Amino acid sequence: MVMCSEVSSSSYHVGDHNMDGLELGLGLSIGWSQYARILTAKDFPTKQNYCSSSCFVNVAKSSSSGIKRTATDSVSPPNGNSVVGWPPVSRAHRMPCSANEIKLPTRNLISLTEQNKSKNRTVGINDCSNERNRNSDKKYRSVKVNMDGTLIGRKVDLNAHSSYEMLAQTLEEMFFQRRSSTEAAKSSRLLDETSEFVLTYEDKDGDCMLVGDVPWQMFLSSVNRLRIMKNSESNKLAPRSQENNERQRTNVV
Amino acid sequence: MFPEEVLEHVFSFLTSHTDRNSVSLVCKTWYEMERWCRKRVFIGNCYAVNPKVIIKRFPEVKGVELKGKPHFADFNLVPEGWGGFVWPWVVEFAKGYPWLEEIRLKRMVVSDECLEIVAKSFSKFRVLVLESCDGFSTDGLASIASHCRNLRVLDLRECEVEELSGHWLSHFPDSFTSLEVLNIACLGSEVSFSALERLVARSPKLKTLRLNRTVPLEKLSTLLQRAPQLIDFGTGSYSAEIRSDVYSSLKDAFSSCKNLKSLSGFWDVTPAYLPVVHSVCSQLTSLNLSYASTQSPELTKIRLVVLDCIEDTGLNTVSMTCKDLRELVVFPSEPFVGDAEVQLTEQGLVSVSQGCSKLQSVLYFCRQMSNSALISISKNRPNLTCFRLCIIEPTVPDYLTLEPLDVGFGSIVENCKQLTRLSMSGLLTDRVFEYIGTHAKNLDMLSIAFAGDSDLGLHHVLSGCDSLRKLEIRDCPFGDKALLANASKLEKMRSLWMSSCLVSFGACKLLGQKMPGLNVEVIDERENLNSLPEYAPVE
Repeated sequence: MVMCSEVSSSSYHVGDHNMDGLELGLGLSIGWSQYARILTAKDFPTKQNYCSSSCFVNVAKSSSSGIKRTATDSVSPPNGNSVVGWPPVSRAHRMPCSANEIKLPTRNLISLTEQNKSKNRTVGINDCSNERNRNSDKKYRSVKVNMDGTLIGRKVDLNAHSSYEMLAQTLEEMFFQRRSSTEAAKSSRLLDETSEFVLTYEDKDGDCMLVGDVPWQMFLSSVNRLRIMKNSESNKLAPRSQENNERQRTNVV
Repeated sequence: MFPEEVLEHVFSFLTSHTDRNSVSLVCKTWYEMERWCRKRVFIGNCYAVNPKVIIKRFPEVKGVELKGKPHFADFNLVPEGWGGFVWPWVVEFAKGYPWLEEIRLKRMVVSDECLEIVAKSFSKFRVLVLESCDGFSTDGLASIASHCRNLRVLDLRECEVEELSGHWLSHFPDSFTSLEVLNIACLGSEVSFSALERLVARSPKLKTLRLNRTVPLEKLSTLLQRAPQLIDFGTGSYSAEIRSDVYSSLKDAFSSCKNLKSLSGFWDVTPAYLPVVHSVCSQLTSLNLSYASTQSPELTKIRLVVLDCIEDTGLNTVSMTCKDLRELVVFPSEPFVGDAEVQLTEQGLVSVSQGCSKLQSVLYFCRQMSNSALISISKNRPNLTCFRLCIIEPTVPDYLTLEPLDVGFGSIVENCKQLTRLSMSGLLTDRVFEYIGTHAKNLDMLSIAFAGDSDLGLHHVLSGCDSLRKLEIRDCPFGDKALLANASKLEKMRSLWMSSCLVSFGACKLLGQKMPGLNVEVIDERENLNSLPEYAPVE
């Protein structure tokens, strides 16, 4: 949908061209009434109903799928219609735990000080910051992907994929896009054991596993990061027939 | 004709990009000369031009500033995934500008991969400013910290960051001592305080430090003691049990900051701790209390950002004491509530306009307004350059006469001849647009919502406002006719946003066809060919 066109150096003057094709008859405001019917408020539903009238764009509807802000942002305004983006207060001034809360309760303060004494603890002051760190509630869940021999890693949103095939396809596009079709067929079938590269992942225990063995949902809940490994290195993988309740740390050196 | 060396020397004094653009239009020689010595490039709309074109035209650039999404993206009006990705730019810059030093982005999507490329590609990289950006995590910040050995500025203004860990700060090596600006106010999670303290302690040039909310008040004095040279300081949470040792060490810490000019932060204020700040107040030029629901207006400043809890009485005090005030911002403490308990009305703004003779810029949220108040304001302060008024309920009339606010806003544009930015609200008919088209000759940016009666309104604006470059409209009965009749005007503008108006798909197609220099974009999630929102970014 994005168009990037170069700016033309010649300016285009509407007046220079034949306007007939546009079927417009706009003159200056003095002569307006000759060419166009002046529309008044009677011709439209009341402004507040723009949102709900069937022949106009429903602002609330069309942007609901696009809201990426937190749920607390869609608070109803006083007139009862949920008018998106009004009043125009930007994100920084709409934060859930905003200035309406003046003070923290004393007991929370004490426990906070105590918690802060132990190092390297990530503690949120209110529940707000804890919520933001909870990965399971997020709309997107991206994990890092590194490929052997490539300096810069990428990130892929796992929640945007529903199967291993889809994921493999995305990764192939990310890392192998420049190959010719014959080469691609040979070496980039990441789920195929005989190709040059193999797709692996690091799970929550730090083990290096081959992608594809467990059901997709189970994979989603245990994957930490992905690695496209050269097939020659694949002896470092954990044994495939590992039982879930027998998680021995097979060391990846 | 001057020799090249002389011209180049003269051009080196030109820093404004508008001046440089004008200079390059004079003749071919000047164009060539100018393009070789332009050090900073500003691209107001990232879709207006291809990055390769920029690199080819300006080979010696050291700093780039880019803007992506339209302003109304701040208010959730732009769908997710619309664009504004900086990736294609960063990839080209890595190839074409290996000596790039500064990147400033506003409303763009920045991924961790982008940050990694920036961190690894530019050995002289010094300044990273991300304003209202999103798409990256603390991992990306860790890359920047690890690799940018000469970083001076890391400024995250109201960004949405995926916060995976607070330890990214520890990635700044111990040998890293060049930091001058650190703004992490937008981060919601705790950053490692010990890493922060060590970083501050080894940054003798640190001038701006804006903490995030999770840094407790008790730790502020520790940081301030290590950075008495600060000019701009943003506290974290300003709330704690009242303890005399905390109070006195904080007071001492603040009074040792002799260069402090700007204060912000102040989340969750415990009022008893505010007087600590009074010792530095007389030297402040900017005070942002917009997160503090307790307001103390007896503070002198040039820029004041507060909540409406300051009330009319508070603003009255401001008008009597803040004689140097240039900019006033009043945010609503409860924007989504119909009847507010705060006693903030048009009167507050009128007082400030009377008492503060240097007032130039206003952003004011309130719940009632009258034409007479607007007329008074315009006569008190003809030197206003930016006037943004938001009456919280859409389409409310003058509360005294029940008439539209046309005459009031008309008075603003007629008396304030230097006005460059205007946002309006309340009940407005086509008449206000006639006033605007007639008088607002210096207006650069106009924001309109729930206003007007017909295409005539839009026509007045597009045909009359000679300097208009940015126009954003939502929920107004403006349609095809005015847009198509003023199509050539659009080419002179940077951008036009129209949503929930009456523009048809057919008109958009026609516009795109007839005006090849325009990018016309239609966003509609229903794929209906009737009336649709439209965004037309233009150079």
